[in-house]
Amino acid sequence: MKNKFLFSYSQFVFCGLLLLMFSGCERALDDLESPNFSNNPDVFIDGFSSGLNYAAFGGSVPTAFDVDEEITYNNSEASMKFEVPDFNNPNGAYAGGAYFTSEPRDLSGYDALTFWIKASQPATIAVVGFGNDLGALKYQASVNDLQVNTNWRKYIIPLPDPSKLTAERGMFFYSEGPEDGKGYTFWIDEVKFEKLGTLAHQSATIFNGDEVTVSSENGETIQITGLTSAHNLPSGIDQSVNLSFNYFSFISSNPAVASVSQEGLVTVLSEGTAQITAKLGNIDAAGSLTINSVGEGIKPASPPPSPTRSADKVISMFSNVYENVPIDTWNTRWQYSTAEESFVEIDGDDAIRYRSLNFVGIEFSSQPINAAGMTHFHLDIWTSDPTNAPNNFKVMLVDFGANGEFGGDDDSSHEVTFTAPTLTTQNWISLDIPMTNFSGLVNRSNLAQLVLSGTLPNLYVDNVYFYNSDTPPLLPTTAAPTPTHSAASVLSVFSDAYTNIAGTNLNPFWGQATVVTQEAIQGNNTLKYTGLNYQGIQLGTSQNVSSFAYLHIDFWTANSSLLNVFLISTGPVETSYSLPVPTTGWSSIDIPLSSFAPVDLTDVIQFKFEGNGTIYLDNLYFRN
Amino acid sequence: MKTIKLLVFIQLAFSFLIGTFVFSGCKGDDFQKLEERNWSLVWSDEFNGEEGTSPDSTKWTYDIGTGQNGWGNQELQFYTNRSQNVSMDGEGNLAITAIKELYAGSSFTSARLKTKGLFEQAYGRFEARLKTPYGPGIWPAFWLLGANVETVNWPQCGEIDIMELRGQHPQVINGTIHGPGYSGGNPITGSYGLENDRYDTNFHIFAVEWFPDRIDFFVDDYLYQRIEQNDVPGEWVYDHPFFMILNVAVGGNYVGFPTEQTPFPQKMIVDYIRVYNEAN
Repeated sequence: MKNKFLFSYSQFVFCGLLLLMFSGCERALDDLESPNFSNNPDVFIDGFSSGLNYAAFGGSVPTAFDVDEEITYNNSEASMKFEVPDFNNPNGAYAGGAYFTSEPRDLSGYDALTFWIKASQPATIAVVGFGNDLGALKYQASVNDLQVNTNWRKYIIPLPDPSKLTAERGMFFYSEGPEDGKGYTFWIDEVKFEKLGTLAHQSATIFNGDEVTVSSENGETIQITGLTSAHNLPSGIDQSVNLSFNYFSFISSNPAVASVSQEGLVTVLSEGTAQITAKLGNIDAAGSLTINSVGEGIKPASPPPSPTRSADKVISMFSNVYENVPIDTWNTRWQYSTAEESFVEIDGDDAIRYRSLNFVGIEFSSQPINAAGMTHFHLDIWTSDPTNAPNNFKVMLVDFGANGEFGGDDDSSHEVTFTAPTLTTQNWISLDIPMTNFSGLVNRSNLAQLVLSGTLPNLYVDNVYFYNSDTPPLLPTTAAPTPTHSAASVLSVFSDAYTNIAGTNLNPFWGQATVVTQEAIQGNNTLKYTGLNYQGIQLGTSQNVSSFAYLHIDFWTANSSLLNVFLISTGPVETSYSLPVPTTGWSSIDIPLSSFAPVDLTDVIQFKFEGNGTIYLDNLYFRN
Repeated sequence: MKTIKLLVFIQLAFSFLIGTFVFSGCKGDDFQKLEERNWSLVWSDEFNGEEGTSPDSTKWTYDIGTGQNGWGNQELQFYTNRSQNVSMDGEGNLAITAIKELYAGSSFTSARLKTKGLFEQAYGRFEARLKTPYGPGIWPAFWLLGANVETVNWPQCGEIDIMELRGQHPQVINGTIHGPGYSGGNPITGSYGLENDRYDTNFHIFAVEWFPDRIDFFVDDYLYQRIEQNDVPGEWVYDHPFFMILNVAVGGNYVGFPTEQTPFPQKMIVDYIRVYNEAN
């Protein structure tokens, strides 16, 4: 009897709770202080909900988003269509944008953002989330790498802490680039906030749950990253969401050693140990940062000299002077690497501080650097460690080749090593490394990694950039122009394009110091004079060139200040003609044979070049 | 291939069941007026032991290992009676923990307790207050099996599943009976889902009230299924003593396989098991 009564009572209570839930929205009287923002849960059902705006992200294809009335979820009236561009689309590199309201909404009564999604092909969408109002992004939360396919599927993004969302304008945002270089289309429909009640077992992390320990010293700052929240979905799997720091509160176990700001920036203040932890609402986040501070460290008293090279001849990776290209990471934390990095300021100049450096990978494969037009790689380093032999410091550059990816048989790399006296202790050392020193680096147009290593565990690095030194290159990078004159109108001495006079000696010994070689440039045989003082060419037989009008020569030199060519007939009778040097790329000249008078054009036996520097010659022939 | 087809079929059937429930979901006026009963407690375990201690050996024994063909269901776990798989949590509950670990050739371990040979009863009220585990491929159960299983075999012995849950649907449980002519993939079953809630976040009370001619299934004392003798297409075999089983399986025909996304370890937390008979 007694038991049964209890049962009935609890049943009654259970149903009562359900009733409460159904009327759960009408609780505005409880918080009279807060402004009465709309709690409209709809974002996009069959069109923009009230007050919703859209803006495409910078660099994205502005027209990537459109409303589609053909392909919709559950035959509803309209869906959101997103056209992801192909790689190299001139209109933009990706599809991305934010949906935001003019007036804030109160989303605190919901626990999830949900939507249906399908795509024209199986794909992984980079980012989808909410809280992006194109402004402060205060409560941004997003899911990375959404798996989608050609069937409609409902996706749930759990709200990490609805109580924060009493005045939110960022309803929805997305960002997605090409898949394997190819564009495709995806659709999203029925985007709304819901109170599911079936999200459970919330957890949170900082540093993605890792227990991070670093050595540090006064003045160093460390940004807390890896902020996530996860809920178990009604499907029994966990869904992790990446969060802005505003959802968290951060705690330092020893604020005198290291303080932590609301923004998750840790600043080291004195010698000792401090542990930084965080809470998401009432949940203790997994992961922590333990700082072992040595107090004041030995560090540069002043920054290195500011770079002075013109910005248009520089590709900068790290410097306060130039605009820097995006670098994925200054520490890849590869296996066996003990390096720790932090970012410090020296008299207002930013520098990178490495500690416990055995080797460190620096990666920029997301946007590889094309340094084909650069002559040097520059970096400034400073160490407090001994630099006498056998201590060393090594710089390696890695190119991923045309495929832009690690592996695939087109990668190349080269490492250069520095020792004393280049290396000195407690001084800024400027390294200007000619790109030609990276001789094993076959390709330089898809540089993706920089690796620093050696025996200097304490290293400051600054002003990391490639530059073009303005001095012309020392060898032609292209072949001489291919001659276009018909073979019948030409008598050739040296050219791949024609049959040359038989028996010609390109290096007769006349007592000259010039070194003569032939080099294939882009597969084209080219005559090279290194250290020219003078140099002859002995024709195979005497030639009658009186029926020709010009002597044609292609020549290239970066460093010659004098170059004369002589035509010689038996006697010897010789006359010189001055070639304009140095050249900008290949120079082609057609010298009227009359210029060589009084040389007997019916009996030409030799050429001679006089001058200095290193000369490349090609396509030496007589023509009409 | 056969297995995959079977899974698909089960899933379809299951979806239908959920759909059915949602349409007929609990409304405010779902107040049930049931005949009053005079239940008298005859057996219970409140699980009030110290943390890490094993269940009372006068009440519980174990199935150990992998059985035949994964206990007849292609289940993946190895059952042990180690304290990491089955012990008191020190807060008044029994914890059965499914762990992802290599153990004796299996990829998972868990536990299965039974009262076989220690307590068996025909008819009465059998109830458990528990919180389920969750995650794809996790299959917790509280059930009864005919004590004559070794002489007449299954399903002739009869089986009453008071609570089974598929971890990929932690908001739905099933109550089921298996007997001759209606067993395995074709039993008599009913489901009960929670609206805006799930069974792994709070304790719920799962019970059957078993009479000679019918079995009533309850969640939190809400009668969601009544199976009467006339409802079964085969023989009504619920006329002799049954013993109780508590277990957490990993994988198997009923639930499908765990995935990389299944969170481990998973715990079924049992506050108490109580058995009553009707005092007249």
